[in-house]
Amino acid sequence: MPSAVFILHLDDMQGFIVVKRYPTTFSLNEKILNLAYYNHIQGEKSDLKIHEIEGMRIATYGDATHPGWLVCMVLAEDEDYGPYTDEFAGMGHLMLELAVENPDLVDVRGILVNRSVIPTPTVEQKCASIFLTPSSVLLLERLRERGAERSAALAIWLREQIQAEDVDIIAAVRPLMESGVVHVEMVQRTAEVVFLLADVFAYRAPPVEAIKYAEEHMPDVAEEYHTLVKEFFSPDPPARGYNPTLPTEDPNAPIVEDCERMASLISKSLTYTVLQHLRKRPMTLEQVSEESALPKSVVRNALWALEAERVVSTIRDDVWVLITNPVIETFLPEYVLDIVKKRVAEKEIGAETARRYLELLVEKWSEPQ
Amino acid sequence: MIRGIYILNQGSLVYTKEYAEGVETESLIEFIVSLTQFLGTVDIGDKTEYMNLGSWRIFYAVRNRFTFVFLADKADDVSQIEERIGQLVDIFMRDYANLAAANQPLTGFDEKVDEIAVTMVKVAILGYAGVGKTTTLHLLRGETLPLIHDPTIGVSIKKLPEEVENANIVLWDLAGQSRFSILWAKMIANAQVVIIVTDSTLENVLRSKKLVSLVKEEVPDAKIIGIANKQDLPTALTPERVGQILGIPTYELVAIDISYRDRLIQIIRKAILEGKAEAKAPTTSPAS
Repeated sequence: MPSAVFILHLDDMQGFIVVKRYPTTFSLNEKILNLAYYNHIQGEKSDLKIHEIEGMRIATYGDATHPGWLVCMVLAEDEDYGPYTDEFAGMGHLMLELAVENPDLVDVRGILVNRSVIPTPTVEQKCASIFLTPSSVLLLERLRERGAERSAALAIWLREQIQAEDVDIIAAVRPLMESGVVHVEMVQRTAEVVFLLADVFAYRAPPVEAIKYAEEHMPDVAEEYHTLVKEFFSPDPPARGYNPTLPTEDPNAPIVEDCERMASLISKSLTYTVLQHLRKRPMTLEQVSEESALPKSVVRNALWALEAERVVSTIRDDVWVLITNPVIETFLPEYVLDIVKKRVAEKEIGAETARRYLELLVEKWSEPQ
Repeated sequence: MIRGIYILNQGSLVYTKEYAEGVETESLIEFIVSLTQFLGTVDIGDKTEYMNLGSWRIFYAVRNRFTFVFLADKADDVSQIEERIGQLVDIFMRDYANLAAANQPLTGFDEKVDEIAVTMVKVAILGYAGVGKTTTLHLLRGETLPLIHDPTIGVSIKKLPEEVENANIVLWDLAGQSRFSILWAKMIANAQVVIIVTDSTLENVLRSKKLVSLVKEEVPDAKIIGIANKQDLPTALTPERVGQILGIPTYELVAIDISYRDRLIQIIRKAILEGKAEAKAPTTSPAS
C-alpha cells in the first residue's frame, strides 16, 4: 500500500495546488511537485508512470481527460509495484475522478485500505470516444464506404469535409485506433494505410439482466419495473414513446444525437461505474454507494445525469432501476469484403493491401470473443 | 482570483466576463440561471453569500431585480473577494442598473470591472538557461541574490511583494534548461505578460527568437517584453539591437543591480496597462 498520496492540480494562475495530501503530515516541497509533474508528462505517453524523485519511488497517474491533474502515490520502501500496476492505475483513476469532482470527496485512506479502483476502460468506453469526436465519426463513415484507405487520402478527404486547412488526422484516428476499430500500418513500405477492422453501433437495449433479477429476487418492484421499461420501448398507441433506436428514414431523427448522449454517459468513469451496477439489478443509492465505494453525493449526481437522459428511473422513490441500457457494440464489417473486391478489380487498391487487409480481419475476429 | 462575473436581470444574462480558460461556460451558465431562479424564492437581504463547487467558490448577491454571481477559487481569501464584490455591486446599481433594465449597452462598465475584479496578473519569465531569469525574479522581489547558481527545476512561482494596478502580480520563473522545454507552452497559458530574458549575446538572442514565436502562438493576447540582461558585460548587444532581432520592445537590465528594480516594475506596469487597453471589445450583451 502506498505510504503517502498527494493530488496535484496545476492551476494556470496559481501554479501547483496540492488539493489532497495523505497523511496530512507528509512533507512536500516545490521541487518534488515540479519533478512529479515534469516526469509524468515527458517521454512515452502513459497514464501510469513510476519515478525516482528525491529518494522516493512515486507512481503518478494522470490522463488526457483531466490535463493538469495528477495523483502521486509514494510507494513504501518494500512495496512491490510491478504486479500491481493495474491496481495502482485503478486507484489513481478513482482518486483523480473524485478530486476533479470535489477534492473533499477523496477518502484516500479508504481507497487504499479497500483497494477501491475504477477498472481499466472497457471496449465500449473506448468506443464511446469515437462518438464524442466528430471527425472520428466522419472517418468511420468514410471507411465504411472504402474499407481501407491511405492515410494521406483520408486526411485530404477530411480536410475537404470540414473545410479547414489544419486538420489533425492523428487526433481524428486516435479514438478509432484505441478502440480497435481501425488499424494503421505501412504496406510494402510505400504507403500508410488505415484499415477498418470493426464497425461500431450504439443503441439502447432493454435492461434484460436487471429485469430478470427483479423478477426472481425483488417481486415487490418487478411489476412496476416491467411497466416502466415497456412504456419506454413500446408504449400503447398512438404514443410512440421516446425510443431513438427505432429505425427511421427521417434524417432529423434523434438517433445520432442520442448516440452522442449515450457515449457521453459511458465515457464518464464515475457515471459508467454507477451504470454498471444498475445493469445487474435495481439498487438503492446507498447500495450503489456501498458496492462501488463511491461517495453518496457522487452516486447521486451520476444517477441524476442518467435520469436526465432517460436511462434510469426510480421506483418507490428509493429504488433506482435501469429502464434502458445504453450499449456500444463492435461487429465484423462483412460488407467491406465486397467493397474491397470491387476496388481491387478497379485497381484502386493493390493486391498486397487487400491481402494484408484480409489477414488483419482474420486475426481480429479469430480472437476469442 | 475572480474567474468569472455574471449579472442577471430576472434570470436573463445582462453581463458576463470571464478571466480564465478552463471554465465550462455552457454548463456553468445553466447552473447560474437555476441558482438565480432559486434565489428568487428566498430572501438573502443585502448579504453576499457563497457556496463551494469543486475547487471553485461561487459568490452571489441579489439587489432588486438583479442577481450577481462571481466565480472565484476556493483558495481565495473570502473577505477580500467579498469586498471587491461589494464595490462592483455598488457601482453597477448606482450607474448601470437603469441601463441594464432598459437593455442599453453598459458603456464603461467593463473597464470598471477590470479595475476591481482583476486580483491577479500572471507574468511569465521565459528564456534559455543561465540568462538570469531567476536573478530577475529575485530583483523584482527585492531579495538578496543567492551566492550559488541553482538551476530552476520546472517552474518557480512567487508573488511580487507589492500590488501593481490594484492586482497581485504572480511571477512564473520557468526553467530554462532544454529538457524542460516541453513545459513552456503549458506554463505560459493565461499569462498576461511574458518577459523574455536574454543574456544579450548574439547567439542567445538569435535562439530566443524561437521563444517569441512560441509565446505569440500560445498566448497571442499576452504582452511580450524583451529583456537585454547582462548589459554590464562588454560583449552585450545594445537593447535596441536585441529588440530589432527579437521584434519586440526590449529593455536593458543588469539583474544583479538593485537600482534596476523600480524601472523593471514600471515596465511591467506599462505592459499590464497596454494589455488592458488592447483587450478586445467587452463581452457586454444587453438582454435581448
